[in-house]
This record gives sequence, structure tokens and C-alpha cells, in this order.
Amino acid sequence: MTQPIAQIINVKKSIGNTPIIHGITLDIYPGEVFGFLGPNGAGKTTMIRMLVGLMKMSEGEIYIQGHHIQRDFEKAIAHVGGIIENPEMYSYLTGLENLKHYARLTPKDIPKKRLEEIIKLVGLEKRIHEKVKGYSLGMRQRLGIAQALLHSPSLLILDEPTNGLDPAGIREIRQYIRRIAHEENLAVFVSSHLLSEMQLMCDRIGIIQHGRLIRVEKIQDLVSKDIDLTVELKASPIEKAFQLLNDRSWHPKKKGSWIELTVSEEEKIPELAELLISNQVKLYQIYSNVQTLEDTFLELTREES
Amino acid sequence: MHFLKILQNEHIKIYKKTGTWIIIGILVTLLLGFAMLQKYVLDNGDQSNWRNQAEARIAQMEEGMERGPDIEAGREAMGKEIAIQQYRLDNDLPPVAADSLWGFMIDATNFTAIATLFTIVIAAGIVASEFSTGTIKLLLIRPVRRGKILLAKFITTMMFALFMLILLFGFSYIIGLAFFGSTGSQLPYLTYTGGEVVEKHMAGHIISLIGFRSIEIIMMATVAFMISTIFRSSSLAIGFSIFLMFTGPQIVQLLSQYDWVKFVLFANTNLMQYVDGTPVVEGMTMSFSIVVLLIYFFVFLVSSWVIFKQRDVAV
Repeated sequence: MTQPIAQIINVKKSIGNTPIIHGITLDIYPGEVFGFLGPNGAGKTTMIRMLVGLMKMSEGEIYIQGHHIQRDFEKAIAHVGGIIENPEMYSYLTGLENLKHYARLTPKDIPKKRLEEIIKLVGLEKRIHEKVKGYSLGMRQRLGIAQALLHSPSLLILDEPTNGLDPAGIREIRQYIRRIAHEENLAVFVSSHLLSEMQLMCDRIGIIQHGRLIRVEKIQDLVSKDIDLTVELKASPIEKAFQLLNDRSWHPKKKGSWIELTVSEEEKIPELAELLISNQVKLYQIYSNVQTLEDTFLELTREES
Repeated sequence: MHFLKILQNEHIKIYKKTGTWIIIGILVTLLLGFAMLQKYVLDNGDQSNWRNQAEARIAQMEEGMERGPDIEAGREAMGKEIAIQQYRLDNDLPPVAADSLWGFMIDATNFTAIATLFTIVIAAGIVASEFSTGTIKLLLIRPVRRGKILLAKFITTMMFALFMLILLFGFSYIIGLAFFGSTGSQLPYLTYTGGEVVEKHMAGHIISLIGFRSIEIIMMATVAFMISTIFRSSSLAIGFSIFLMFTGPQIVQLLSQYDWVKFVLFANTNLMQYVDGTPVVEGMTMSFSIVVLLIYFFVFLVSSWVIFKQRDVAV
């Protein structure tokens, strides 16, 4: 097993007398996108703030590359880049001035070439000399990613990175996150309450509820818990199709102009199509409904509460 | 030196703001306005009969001395005044006119109150604005300890105060020269030390006037900086500091019969009271005030530092 980049060991946090985080233990490894999933108010942001040293833990330890986040802050945080909630920048400075500002806060020199490279990577070359005031939310988000990657961190923390982005922007960010994680062997820690988003982006997911990590699993394991697939199809003539399926004990059910049935594995779907086509039934649409993470998530959190 | 880069950042963040240049513009405009007022509107009287005025003043003082003022300090001040006026007559040195270069610059030192006001605005915003805009989060997740960031911000505030004073001095010289020319600029400043009247260079006198006033700037900026750090609200910091700045000295005067008042910050900010005036509470000395000021200064800074270091950032 590779060494984890970040180790979170039994971390607890109380604000006043109210416990917010009840002991979270978690390791994050290089090359993975870890999704931190939970409803609003579950403690995601508090956990992330402790991970980057903005908040102090009441109990427990956090190590990044072996350095304690509080006792050895400068060494630990040097490996971290992040966006915490919204990427708030100095709106009266240009994009480039903002990046240079953050570059100056890193003890090692960040060459001009690296700046140009990052700007190109996030696609802001054309607008980088404009004031951030005039940027769209998507552009700010990209500038946020640029500042997080500037010093080549080994742990990238993104708190709700797709907040306020349009679908094209979300897709772009998602692909980009997966690419850097896998190519540069970066550990990415992403938090979100958008389940569908996480499903497409993450390798592993931890579900947090009421300040407890109730489940940590590989995405495949979490999604394919339920191996029964629901298949819906549209065919003509519908009566003939229904008859055919019924005769071969597929147990079809009619739902308006659709036929619905359940199969045990994906391989059954082409079989099904072939049966219909070879019997001169016109097949218009067919799709399978995998149980989504959303279903799993709702199920898990329901069990808990 | 990494710290210099952090300092550079803080300077950039101040001087790239439009507001800062508006502040500087206002200061220069006020000086210009004052110069115009002095030159075209105010009647500064006829300076040619200054001899008569000086003689009248001496006569007035001597009469006062004979009637015998109750306070020792008052008697002393009158003695100084007589000596200086006599020296003027003996050496043919007219007093500085208000509508001359030096006169204008001396009056312009009163504008340090405005410089203080503007420095308070900057000091109040330098920490609080990072919180109110949320930029504090990205600022504090860098490999720089919080203490260093705070120190850079404090030094930047002090540099701004210095910048304001240099601007004030520089522009009052330039504007003074432009409006009133250099006539009378050879006149010395007369002071009474060690039992005799001494001639000093006027520019030195003006710089020392500004220097004394700068204590107030430093202390008020530090108060605003502390409130800004503790409460993360620049409006609270501005309001509270300005309120203190205007009411503090008055309250101290009102309560000056109590001995403990000498430990109040505002009883000590005006060090001029030891040069040409009477201390707020009898028995106070310059070195006493300097010690009190230093203690306040460090208490303000340490409390800002402790709070800033410990704070959970949850904006």
C-alpha cells in the first residue's frame, strides 16, 4: 500500500459546547479523487477547514505528508492547495496580479513559466490581465484552481468546486480534476452535496452525516450494490413484444407505451434486443437504469437517521 | 527574504485600491484649499508694524507678571514669551507671517489630524476587509505563519502613516512655495532653552511638530488595527477609533483633577505638553508618558496577535 498523503486521525471539533465533528478517521492516497459527500450542515466545511489549518481541532490529529497541520503548519500546508467554498479573490486586482500575490506567499520561487503554464491550463490566457471584478463565476472558479495548483501541491482540496458553474463548466472541471489526479499523482479531496457530480468525478467516496463518517467506499462498490437492472424499452407492435418476452419468462410489465422488466446483469440487454429484432419487432428505444449513487446515498442516510 | 515579499503583497493590496488614491487626493486638495483661503480670503493684517505689536505684547506680559499669576508654570511661560519678543526686537527678526512659506507649513501641521483619520481608515480595513471579502481563507492557507501575515499588515499600516506624513510635509512645502514664494524663509525659529533664546532652523521646527503629532497617528492606527483584528469589522474599528480620537483628549481634560488620569492613553499622546505647555496632570514627565505609550502600544499589538493566531476562520 502506498503512503497516504493526508491522515486524519480521530478528529473531533466542538464549537462552544456543540459537537460538530464526532471523531473522523480517514486516509487519502496519491492519485485518487476522494469525494466527501454529505448533506448541507453535515460538517463537511468544518472538516475541510481543519484539514487546511483554518480551524483548530478540539481533539485528534491531522498529518499531511507526515507533518502535523497545527504543530508544523508551514511544512504541512506547503503540500496543500485548495479552494475553500467560493474562490474569493481581490476583485480590484487583475487575475495575474492575484496569482502573483499567492505566488509571493510561497517560500520557493515560482518561475514565470509555471505561471503561464497554469494560466493556459485553466484557459484564462485571454482575460488574465483584466480585473477579477469583471470575471464570471466560472472564470473565478478557474482562477481559484490556478492559485491552488500554482505551487504544485500534492493534496488538492476543493470545497464544492462546481458551485455556480454551468454544465459545460462543470464537465470541464470534472475532466480536469480527474486528469491531474491520475497524471500528476495528486490526491484530490472534493466535497459536495451534489451526488451525481461525485459519482462521475471520484474514485472513492466518504459519506458524512451529522459529523460522522458513516461509510467510505470505492465508487464501484457503492454504485453496484444492487446488481438488478431495470430495463425500459419502447417497441412496436407493443403487444407482440410483450408476448415474446412473457413467453420466455422475462416477466415484463406494461407501463403505458413502455415495457419494463428486470434483468440480473448487463449482458442480458443485447440478448433481449436480439430476441425482439429477430422476431421482426421494431425496437425504438431501450435503456437500463442503474441504481445511482443518489439512491444509495439516500438509502444510507435514511438508515442512519 | 520571504518576509519582504509578504510586505510587498500588503503594499500592493493598499495602493491598488482606488480608495487609497482618493484619500491621498483629498489630503492634497485640502492643503490646496487652505492655501487659497490663506492667500485670497483671510486678512492676515499688516506685518510692517510687528515691532509695535511685540512691544505691546511685552508690556502686556510684564503687567501680567506684576499682578502675579497663581500658577508657577504660567509665570514661567510669560517669562519665556518676554525673552523671545525682546530677542526679536533686538535682532530685527519679525515673526513668521501666516501667508508665508513657513507660516503656511506651520499651520498645515494641523492637518496631521486628517492624516490620522485616513490612516485609521486604512488600519481598520487591512485585516477586517480580508474577512469581509472572504480572501482571508486563501491568504491563511499558505506556508506562512499567521503571526508573519499580521506583522506584515501592521508594518504596512505604519508605512502608510509615514507616507501620509511625508506627503503632508512635502505637499505643504510645494504648495506653500507655489502660493507664497520663499520670502521670509531665512527666518529662524526662536525657542527658549537653558535660560536663553536660541535660533533654530524653521524646517527642523516643522518636522519636530509633525514628529510630535505622529505619536497620535501611531497610537490611533494601532487602536484601529487592534479593533479591526479582534472584531473583524472595519466600520466598527473606524467608528470607535475616531470617536476616541475626538473625545479622548477632552475627557482626559475634564477628569484631569484625578491622579489616575495620567495612566489614560490620551493623557500621554500629546508630548508637546512637555515642550510648550503644561502637563494634563501635574508631575507627569516626558519619560513617564513615553513608558505609558510603549506599554499601551505593546498591549494593543499582543492582543491583536493572540486573537489573530487563535481564531477559527469561519467566514
